[in-house]
Amino acid sequence: MANSMAKSFLQAAATEEVVSPLRVVQIEGLVILKIIKHCKEFSPALVTGQLLGLDVGSVLEVTNCFPFPIREEDEEIEADGANYQLEMMRCLREVNVDNNTVGWYQSTILGSYQTVELIETFMNYQENIRRCVCIIYDPSRSNQGVLALKALKLSDSFMELYRANSFTGEKLREKNLSWMDIFEEIPIKVSNSALISAFMTELESDTPVTQCDYDRLQLSSNPYMERNMEFLIECMDDLSVEQQKFQFYYRSLSRQQAQQQAWLQKRRADNMQRKAAGEDPLPEEDPSNPIFKPIPEPSRLESFLITNQIANYCNQINGVSGQSFNRLYLMKSLHDN
Amino acid sequence: MASKFWTQGGSDTEEEETDIEDEIENGGAGETTAAAAGSRYLQTNASDSDDSDGQKRVVRSAKDKRFEEMASTVDQMKNAMKINDWVSLQESFDKINKQLEKVMRVTESDRVPNLYIKCLVMLEDFLAEALANKEAKKKMSSSNHKALNAMKQKLKKNNKQYEELINKYRENPESEEEKLEDEDEDEDEDESGSELEDPSQIAAESSDEDDEGEDVDDDDADGAWEKKLSKKEKLMDREFKKDPSEITWDTVNKKFKEVVAARGRKGTGKFEQVEQLTFLTKVAKTPAQKLEILFSVISAQFDVNPGLSGHMPINVWKKCVQNMLVILDILVQYPNIVVDDMVEPDENETQKGADYDGTIRVWGNLVAFLERIDNEFFKSLQCIDPHTREYVERLRDEPLFLVLAQNVQEYLERIGDLKSAAKVALRRVELVYYKPQEVYDAMRQLAVLSEDGEKDGDETKVEETWGTSAFVVTPELVSRKLTFPENSRALMDILVTLIYKSGDERTKARAMLCDIYHHALFDEFSIARDLLLMSHLQDTIQHMDVSTQILFNRAMAQVGLCAFRVGLIAEGHGCLSELYSGGRVKELLAQGVSQSRYHEKTPEQERLERRRQMPYHMHINLELLEAVHLICAMLLEVPNMAANSLDAKRKVISKTFRRLLEVSERQPFTGPPENVRDHVMAATRALCKGDFQKAFDVINSLDVWKLLRNRESVLEMLKAKIKEEALRTYLFTYCFSYDTLGLDQLTKMFDLSDAQIHSIVSKMLVNEELHASWDQPTRCIIFHDVEYSRLQALAFQLTEKLSILAESNERAVEARFGGGGLDLPLRRRDNQEYAAGTAGGGGGRWPDLSYNQGRQGSSGRAAYTGGGRPLALGQASRDRSSQSRGTGGYSGRAGSGMRGYQMDASARMVSLSRGVRG
Repeated sequence: MANSMAKSFLQAAATEEVVSPLRVVQIEGLVILKIIKHCKEFSPALVTGQLLGLDVGSVLEVTNCFPFPIREEDEEIEADGANYQLEMMRCLREVNVDNNTVGWYQSTILGSYQTVELIETFMNYQENIRRCVCIIYDPSRSNQGVLALKALKLSDSFMELYRANSFTGEKLREKNLSWMDIFEEIPIKVSNSALISAFMTELESDTPVTQCDYDRLQLSSNPYMERNMEFLIECMDDLSVEQQKFQFYYRSLSRQQAQQQAWLQKRRADNMQRKAAGEDPLPEEDPSNPIFKPIPEPSRLESFLITNQIANYCNQINGVSGQSFNRLYLMKSLHDN
Repeated sequence: MASKFWTQGGSDTEEEETDIEDEIENGGAGETTAAAAGSRYLQTNASDSDDSDGQKRVVRSAKDKRFEEMASTVDQMKNAMKINDWVSLQESFDKINKQLEKVMRVTESDRVPNLYIKCLVMLEDFLAEALANKEAKKKMSSSNHKALNAMKQKLKKNNKQYEELINKYRENPESEEEKLEDEDEDEDEDESGSELEDPSQIAAESSDEDDEGEDVDDDDADGAWEKKLSKKEKLMDREFKKDPSEITWDTVNKKFKEVVAARGRKGTGKFEQVEQLTFLTKVAKTPAQKLEILFSVISAQFDVNPGLSGHMPINVWKKCVQNMLVILDILVQYPNIVVDDMVEPDENETQKGADYDGTIRVWGNLVAFLERIDNEFFKSLQCIDPHTREYVERLRDEPLFLVLAQNVQEYLERIGDLKSAAKVALRRVELVYYKPQEVYDAMRQLAVLSEDGEKDGDETKVEETWGTSAFVVTPELVSRKLTFPENSRALMDILVTLIYKSGDERTKARAMLCDIYHHALFDEFSIARDLLLMSHLQDTIQHMDVSTQILFNRAMAQVGLCAFRVGLIAEGHGCLSELYSGGRVKELLAQGVSQSRYHEKTPEQERLERRRQMPYHMHINLELLEAVHLICAMLLEVPNMAANSLDAKRKVISKTFRRLLEVSERQPFTGPPENVRDHVMAATRALCKGDFQKAFDVINSLDVWKLLRNRESVLEMLKAKIKEEALRTYLFTYCFSYDTLGLDQLTKMFDLSDAQIHSIVSKMLVNEELHASWDQPTRCIIFHDVEYSRLQALAFQLTEKLSILAESNERAVEARFGGGGLDLPLRRRDNQEYAAGTAGGGGGRWPDLSYNQGRQGSSGRAAYTGGGRPLALGQASRDRSSQSRGTGGYSGRAGSGMRGYQMDASARMVSLSRGVRG
């Protein structure tokens, strides 16, 4: 037995070499309900929690979760939070539940989650757990009758770049990385044990229409659209700011280049003269000269994230408006009847 | 006493002069002495000793002057002793100590003069006596007593330094005195025995004859100073006290060189030098020489000016102008003499006589002198208090300068030096450009009047100074009369055309600005504006010197005033708003210094600034300017505010005005208006309600209007404008409350004709400021209710932003491929647009902002890592704070929802109209 265990560890070590890519996130129905409950209760405040589960081949199973307490404005509780986390894990281990961290979940408002902080947290997790996901739940969107649940991970190439912290245009081109390649969305599969499924069928009412379906028929989409628009506008502003940064950079770059050219020409002329006078030419480069100090190129990360965010909003708007049209046509035909 | 002294001094010099004349006239009598002196002079002439001789004499004079001052102080002390006045004695003692320092400096020796020691001894004795006399001491007044005690202390302290000398003096006072005299004698060469030059002697004398009156004493002391000058002249004369025929060009030249060489040296009296040179002009042999010397005279006269900040004494200035005129006389009389400052002329160039045929080059620069004279005039006006009679008197000298400038210009034109002529013309322009026709007329009249009056005075004066003794007589060829055109515009045109033709860049720019100013002064707005736009001065003015920038500001202010007078409100505001944006109008127009709280100026800056100030008579009235600016802003801003009442930040025309309005609205009570600002604010309040009558009344009660020439018509215009804007404001404000609005009603309310109202309202309809239409048969305006949903408004905003983004993207691409796409002006415009865009988006901005923060903080939540790794505390806490703010913003959202909704109703309108235009 012990031998086989050791072997399986060995096997695990061996399989590590050829890691099969993460294909699907399999979540227990109970976990989803717990996440929804937590996020909805605290909405519009944003909350987070821990995901626990198992990493099996190309499937990441999420079998349990627990929420983090709402943090307060106090330094001490900061440590308490970490302690709580550890304590919780310990307790779970004691009752023999899966206590392997596989990621975290968080709530969001209208899908505005693509921030530098998210990436930072991701990187933190990534250091400890190779396979980790972030489940994002959007309570506001779920009000519309959709289960707005997303599992995300950072793409490998992006992570590499992020570690090197070089988001210059050149590097990005080299890696062939565009803004779309930052996050990878992983399909979510909800699994329930057979017992639960049976119980659910037992509970199911006679009518095939559920509350969720009623929600889906809600006609008012205005507030949602408005909010999306507002965010979109804001993103445009941010993007403009980024753009200005670049313009500024290019301007100073061209100015510097002009200065360098002028300096070089002068130096060359000097050298010609020195040559004529029989002296040694001066070096053509002078690192101490401030005009040769390279100007740092602004990072593209921010603009990438903003672009991502914009794409996200656009998708949402597209989706909602498409559905709204359907609903309106439905209503119209109902009226006509 | 002073007057007495002056009269005496005056008579003294006269006597001396008559003496000279006598001597020259009856050359026979004075011949022996003169010849003797002359021969001696000629003998020593060759050697260098003569040079040093002259120098020494000059040095001595300064020394003597100091000694005399000291002696006079000693006399005062004696007088004080006589009446036992310790207070004044103490003062005198302080004074003599100061003078001692000066004397030591001048003599450059470390030996204390005997006079001083003697004085100390005398004081000591007197003090001992006073202290011994107990009864007298008791009788003294308290202040006197105090002074006595103070004196005792001081003297004790002071005398310690000179103890040795005092003791020596006490031993044998006589020998000391004699030694002193010897010394003086050494320096004094041959005279001074009979004269009262020796200060110690004066002192000795007066101390001997104590019963002499104090008046006499004083006169003696001061008179000596006066005599000194005359002595100087005498010394000069000694060398020229001979037949005119015996004075050669050489002697004059020698003397001239000598005097010029002494210039700027320590101890050279500035006035004396002028006198000496002036005398030399009388004896100059050739016109060229006279010219050369005259140039030096003028330079010396400039030297009289005590410093950069002070101005030249006015009488010297006047003489300077006269000298310039004489120079011109000579130049006109002898056209073969050329004035040049480029080439160093030959030593003996000026030897060539009047009958010499070729050109004679003389060093000098007429334009530089003229400009200097003008600068001095300007400076004197800066310094003199404008509320005194002196200022007015000084202003009367202006025609004098104009005559000179005119003549110089004519001369320069005649010799073909048009570039210099343009410079001179500019000076004339700068004296004329700010004068309205009335002032100009007054100046012309003054010129004509003073002409008649001065005719006689001038002649006598000329006779006095030059008349008899001058060898080279210069007739007054150059006219001393001003020839002005009737109209200042005509004068300006003549001068300005000349400058445009042949001036250099700066001269042209300044002339252009003056021209613009003048046009604006005469209400010719379109010409002034065209000139301004054609010259592109706005683009280049930043690179010009400060004084030109000030001139530019002045011109802009005047153009703004002009635009207002002719009823172009928007243009007027455009011109003036920039001046007022920084709140430093005074500095921009150089009409005073404003104190800044945050920025301490160095004394150097302050001095520079003071030198830039405009003289009072050239000022643009600041109150009027402010009134005009604020009224323009009011007329533009009030309807604008009404149009965008719900979104205050949307479009601001005048920030200054908005700020003032905010301040005035914050006041709990509004009292009756006091200054210009209050008036305009009161008018604004009335206008906001559409009450044009009250607004106009308040504005009308301003007393700056009396400064306007065509006051009635301007006020009439203003009233019409106020009515119009009141109508517009009313329509903007209350259009939501009406379905229809009758034309008759409006005519009654705003006291405007049907046609006027029709045109105003139609204009608003066309510009899509008002969503309504005319219903002709019923003569009504029918308002359309156009309300966009918030979503639509947001969509508009988004498209706006997108277009901005796309535009700048395009430009970036252009920069990459086409080169200069990122030009500066382009960028600036873009920034403005962008700023407008962001300001436009500001409707519901703050709730959005907090959303943003919430969003950012959202993921920070997940920072509890699985491994229980310690967190970076700083980051986590920041996340937390932003998160809490985020929630605050969210809950606040519901409250602001309604407001935001309304806000956008107005925002939409404008953005829609923009979209249509775009």
